[in-house]
Amino acid sequence: MPVWNSTHMSHLLSRSIFGFSKSDLTMALGYGTFVDFVDKSLLKDEPLPAAPNNWVNTMPAQVQQTDGSTGRWYTEMTAWWYARMVNEGLNMREKMVLFLHNHFSNERDKVSYPQNMYAQNQLFRKYAFGNFKQLVKDVSKDPAMLIYLDGNNSRGAAPNENYAREVMELFTMGIGNYTETDIKQAAKVFSGWQVSGLTATFVPARWYTEANITVFGKTAKFDINTLIDHIFDQKVTAQFICRKLYQEFVYYKPDEVFISKMATIFKANNFEMKPLLKFLFTSDEFYKTEIIGSKIKSPTDLLVGSAKLLQVKTPDLNNFYELARTLQMQLFQPPDVAGWPGQREWISSTTYSYRGGFTDSLLSGKRYNGVTVTSKLDPILFARTFSTSEKANEFVDEIVGLALRFPLSDTRRKFLLDTLLDGTIVANYNTYTANTDARINKFLKALMRLPEYQLC
Amino acid sequence: MKKNVSRKQFLQQMALLSGGATWGLGSISGKAYAQVPASMASMVAGAEKGKALVIIQLSGGNDGLNTVIPAEDDQYFVKRPDIAIKKDAAIPLKNGMYLNPAMLGIKKLYDQGKVSVLQNIGYANPDRSHFRATDIWNTGSDAKTVWDEGWAGRYLSLKYPQFPMKMPSHPMAIQLGSVESLLFQSDLGRFGTVFEDPNLFYQLVNGSTADSDLPPATLAGEELGFLKQIASSSIQYSKVIQDCATKGKTTYSYPSSNLARQLQIVSKLISGGIETPIFLTTIGGFDTHSNQLTQHANLWKTISEAVTAFQADLENMNLADSVSVVTFSEFGRRVNQNGTLGTDHGTAAPMLVIGKTVRGGLIGENPNLKNLDINGDLKFNYDYRQVYSTIIRDHLGVDAVKTQQIFNQAFERLPIYQNSPDQLPEFTSLELVTSVPNPVIDFALIQYSVFEKMQIKLAVYDLQGQEIQQIYQGNREVGSYQMTVDLARISSGFYIISLSGLNGQRQSRRMIKQ
Repeated sequence: MPVWNSTHMSHLLSRSIFGFSKSDLTMALGYGTFVDFVDKSLLKDEPLPAAPNNWVNTMPAQVQQTDGSTGRWYTEMTAWWYARMVNEGLNMREKMVLFLHNHFSNERDKVSYPQNMYAQNQLFRKYAFGNFKQLVKDVSKDPAMLIYLDGNNSRGAAPNENYAREVMELFTMGIGNYTETDIKQAAKVFSGWQVSGLTATFVPARWYTEANITVFGKTAKFDINTLIDHIFDQKVTAQFICRKLYQEFVYYKPDEVFISKMATIFKANNFEMKPLLKFLFTSDEFYKTEIIGSKIKSPTDLLVGSAKLLQVKTPDLNNFYELARTLQMQLFQPPDVAGWPGQREWISSTTYSYRGGFTDSLLSGKRYNGVTVTSKLDPILFARTFSTSEKANEFVDEIVGLALRFPLSDTRRKFLLDTLLDGTIVANYNTYTANTDARINKFLKALMRLPEYQLC
Repeated sequence: MKKNVSRKQFLQQMALLSGGATWGLGSISGKAYAQVPASMASMVAGAEKGKALVIIQLSGGNDGLNTVIPAEDDQYFVKRPDIAIKKDAAIPLKNGMYLNPAMLGIKKLYDQGKVSVLQNIGYANPDRSHFRATDIWNTGSDAKTVWDEGWAGRYLSLKYPQFPMKMPSHPMAIQLGSVESLLFQSDLGRFGTVFEDPNLFYQLVNGSTADSDLPPATLAGEELGFLKQIASSSIQYSKVIQDCATKGKTTYSYPSSNLARQLQIVSKLISGGIETPIFLTTIGGFDTHSNQLTQHANLWKTISEAVTAFQADLENMNLADSVSVVTFSEFGRRVNQNGTLGTDHGTAAPMLVIGKTVRGGLIGENPNLKNLDINGDLKFNYDYRQVYSTIIRDHLGVDAVKTQQIFNQAFERLPIYQNSPDQLPEFTSLELVTSVPNPVIDFALIQYSVFEKMQIKLAVYDLQGQEIQQIYQGNREVGSYQMTVDLARISSGFYIISLSGLNGQRQSRRMIKQ
């Protein structure tokens, strides 16, 4: 059992949810054990949230593509999702929805209609802690997926191979565990579907007519259910999915020994997510010192987490929307069917620089391009939520402890203290002196521009 | 191919890289980085100063058969009843091959001899996964080998041997975009500077700092070291990029596409004096599984117009001799159309090399639609690394031995450039590359390549064909070789150096002895 302390809890919160505030941490530490916290809060089932608007149930129509509604609705839905994340509390469902969105990567540019992407997003929410095998079956008939990977209108006689390939390569087994013939055969099984508006319909006449087909050496008249069952019977499948989870939540270079342990749990629980996640987040491996602080924040972690850290209750979601695009993580628009690769791929000279531009904007109230950011931080009020607010040294240590999972060097710490003092001395520092708001702003900007701040 | 950098070396590099004290942007001085003198860098990799390669990546898998079209081949129409482009609609090249009707600008350049169309480029056992195939093309590996360094990363580590201990004053590679390609990555670090807009890039970097703290020896410390490297190189290069963009000119009106904007920035930076040898630009949308005809044509219209503007702009500024453009995509598409008026993932496809120094024309045999592999895909004629090896040698001016190091294998060149060898490679099994200096006083450095294992003989002859001095005779494995020969004792005059193989092939070069 991992040791129950603030360091371990901060690590768990920075990985399993989108960052945390001081009061989030205090509340989490009230649970007493990791098992209790995971059961009663982190993995607790919650009712599905209400829709962003009525359009989600309207019939997709060509006119919405030309009159601007599609774009508006996507923006609205994205803001809605960000609001779910900002207000996630101590529950990791939204983080899992994002994991699944990335895993079953669909792009709004190709799916076109936000109605379909919304339904898929709620499907992920429904299965966030649920049965992964059943989710793959449902995803195979999901209208957005049928459109995205060309299952729509695929006919058994000349099937489109796109979904069959990706379901094996990216969703369940991983490259190298099937042949081109397996793909060609499986493509027949996935054929026959047609999307019309909000629903997908199976048209038997468009399905394959062969008496049997052979996939991974087994011959049968496969349908989607039996084929997905067959895929999940392959040894590599549990391992593949657990590897993906490990790389997302623990460390980007897989530890195959531990992943095998995860896979055993996953299989023993018939591919239910909740027992697997519980195993992961109560394991000693997850809390190893060397793992802490080794993950590069995704842009979503950065955006939502910075707002939470600074206790901004209603962040400027337009700012989120624009910056997320720039930082290469526009929700509902992953780069391709493999999703966002994450970790070092988030960082290039340009995205690194934009990250600094974003954190600056929360404090200056202006984006890099001069556009006003609403809900600018009040630095004095923020500082006074900390009992250390009047003592410069202690205040730096407390904020650094909250914001960084990474041990700060003495030079860096001194640099931050000097930035906060900005010419004055520790004895004269307090939040009641003129210009302390500017000092705190500068200090927070410098803190969030540290490369260490990009790690969690 | 892996260079092992010890952790200690890495930390030393980081310390040097970040230069010493904490600095704000205003106080960066060029002296913080000891620079590799240009002359030394060019000596090391033999690069010709000022040459630049501009790569256009077509993401998603370009349908080669609807790009360079066999519009006189019945099989093409049989296999693609609904999406074939008819002869009357297409633009004729020669030998029964046609261009997509959207490629009017490229056809104009082709007629001026500025486009080499390379047919059926691929590799053995092709991979049909977007991701693995893209990695293969970027790393320059074969299908079975996984490399984690880009071929350009390896080229750049030869060109800038001091990286990352010391960084040259100009960016080593530039990518227009946001997510750094594997192409520019290496075990030593990342060579690419990635941005979308030169001025904005400069503005955003402002406010970031770098320091000399060593990251701790932990997993997280490794990630921190990586972040610090990116921060440092951004701070260093954002200024020179902005300066070159400000100095640079645009002399031609570009279309409004994203690719055109990328190429316009490249042209501006080159005219502003940037010394970067490789640029990467990208256009996506080629994964045409359904209703592909219009979409695919629009993509090529975009490329054709953008490249035409870029070429005209460079020619206006007299910079066209030093710049070459190449297109690549992770794979071509299946010969048969699928059930949704599109095509699934396939194999070999054409590549275009564009510029003033190319030979131009159609290179290689037409796609054979009858002799397909078991998946119904085209067989490749030339390996994609032959194309890259040719570009690296004949355009970027790297020697045969270094080029072989980049791909861990010698590849026969294709007749892409005016200075490329004449024959098509199926006739070549050996190549006498250079003998320097010429005229020679005493020692000559001779480079040659052998493309199939055989017995060879390398010797000096007089103009009457009399053997004067034998240099080497014996069996050679496939590879590139260099030998230093003492020619001090032969008398002054004209000679022939000749490399011959037991199979009867022979290549000769003239040499003058002082």
